[in-house]
Amino acid sequence: MSDNKQAASAAKTGAPCKAGKALNIAIAVSAVITVAGIALWMVQLSGGMIQTGMRDLDSWGLYIMSFMFFVGLSAGGLIISSMPKAFGIKGFGGISKVAVWTSICCTVCAIGLVVVDLGQPIRLWELFVYSNLTSPLMWDVLVIGTYLVLSLFYLWAQIRFEQGKMRAVALRVISVVALVVAVLVHSVTAWILGLNISHEFWHTALLAPWFVSSALVCGTALVLAVVIALRAAGYFDVADDNLVKMAKLLGAFVCVDLYFFGCDLLTTGYPLSEGGVGIVEMLTSGVLAPFFWVEVIGCIACAVVCFTPKLRSNALLIVASVLAIVGIFCKRVQLIVGGFQVPNLDMPTVLTDHAALGGYDAYGSFASLYANSVYAPAPIEFGVVAGVFALGVLMLLLGVKHLPLKSAE
Amino acid sequence: MRLGYVIDKKSCIGCHACAVACKVENNLPDGVWWNRILTEGGENRDTPKGTYPNLSMGNIAVSCQHCDNPACVKVCPVGATYKDEATGAVRQDYDKCIGCRMCMAACPYTGVRSFNWEEPVYAIGQDMGDVSVAKHQKHTVEKCTMCWHRLAQGLQPACIEVCPARVRYFGDFDDPDSEVSKLIREREYMQLLPDSGTSPSVYYLV
Repeated sequence: MSDNKQAASAAKTGAPCKAGKALNIAIAVSAVITVAGIALWMVQLSGGMIQTGMRDLDSWGLYIMSFMFFVGLSAGGLIISSMPKAFGIKGFGGISKVAVWTSICCTVCAIGLVVVDLGQPIRLWELFVYSNLTSPLMWDVLVIGTYLVLSLFYLWAQIRFEQGKMRAVALRVISVVALVVAVLVHSVTAWILGLNISHEFWHTALLAPWFVSSALVCGTALVLAVVIALRAAGYFDVADDNLVKMAKLLGAFVCVDLYFFGCDLLTTGYPLSEGGVGIVEMLTSGVLAPFFWVEVIGCIACAVVCFTPKLRSNALLIVASVLAIVGIFCKRVQLIVGGFQVPNLDMPTVLTDHAALGGYDAYGSFASLYANSVYAPAPIEFGVVAGVFALGVLMLLLGVKHLPLKSAE
Repeated sequence: MRLGYVIDKKSCIGCHACAVACKVENNLPDGVWWNRILTEGGENRDTPKGTYPNLSMGNIAVSCQHCDNPACVKVCPVGATYKDEATGAVRQDYDKCIGCRMCMAACPYTGVRSFNWEEPVYAIGQDMGDVSVAKHQKHTVEKCTMCWHRLAQGLQPACIEVCPARVRYFGDFDDPDSEVSKLIREREYMQLLPDSGTSPSVYYLV
């Protein structure tokens, strides 16, 4: 994955004359990683998901974390590019189409990550035949499907508009619809967790707005980083003040996201109930502390860079964007692992290698099981996620190469 | 009809016979237990809490609670887990399950739902239990069926019949004259995680 990322960023930051060649190499590399990922997925399906780090007591892992993360990236990217058009305010220069394409690639990654998490992907068709409309997962399938089609339509509409074949009003209507669906898509994703009373850590009404704010953080950060990289590679020109505007917006979103985090921690911890204190301790000093502090410190650092004019250099803005993206990913890790890290029935019982991966003892004690993180991803999960990620990068690069994403201005 | 269990916690001796009977009767693959005995006591299994001479220990047999308001049924995207209206049993259709594990995340009763993480492997190399038990499938979720195949034959679940201390009762809570209805009318009882609002069909006499 990192090789591929380096290749991809080399393609973007390299000298313009070499950019074409580097782009082709990056496309080839991501294609190879995608194929390798698909092969690993087949290994997972044939040999069984016992090869992953997931078990009965932590039944979701890296795939669902990454799924939620990519939905956020996608929704955030689309919101940031459709908001100016929807409200008829001045935008960020000619970045809109790149932002929408980035969103589309992230949506495809998100869908891919759900598919690789399924035990029986061959039964996917049932979703459309036996749809149970009370399931938040079903809502997500419907909304993400709509969202993907709508984003493609939105991109097409922008290209048509620039060719003078579509009226501004029509484009604006599509922008508004895209904006609403983008907000909805991440709210629904939050409800997959937040509507479940089964996990105290998840069950909060704040989760949906919080997911939207997190989406705005990582979506804006991704668009900012991609635009700076593409500009440096000479792909298109974007005025500095547009980048500054976006950086300030990123800083504001990061602050809102941290504010929500603070509200949630206070509400959880203030009653000093056993469960609430346990959750606050798990985050600040327990097994999830590394992810908690990377997020908090990374997001604060990101805000400082975004709000300080002297620090807004290309390099530092990319660092700030990466910190924000990593921070939001850390939040997804906290949510999924943290949910399963707090069992409702924690009395000692029969534990097998299907119930939990290692860490338990012959005495069936939960104390030793939950002393460490109940979940750790297995190598195959990293491999499959790398494959899905490479598919997104492949699509992104093919788009950069073949689609008219450059600014018309 | 609302079928369910009453388990007399006061008399349970924690012998795990019901758990083993369930495992054999339903031909459960290696690593899978639908019914477990939880030790209410110390940190380890079968240990008491407190210091001598003030020790206490209890056992709670936990399997699917066949809730009246099941969290799992609502969230299943394809309706593979569903409430059988005629009996009140929460059922699982292996042929339909897409393996998303949403029900496992939604169920508040830790560990009662299990996923076949691999092609089922059987301890003795051949099938055990009743021939009419539905075949276990790789990458699908399963759990206590109330011994559906035995109910169809007019029998009680295997865990009820095998209990040497006779602390397990099975019957219809909608029938005021049933043994289980009488027990919860006359005796003090508790339920697991009542705050979840799931209205479980398993009552523990205390």
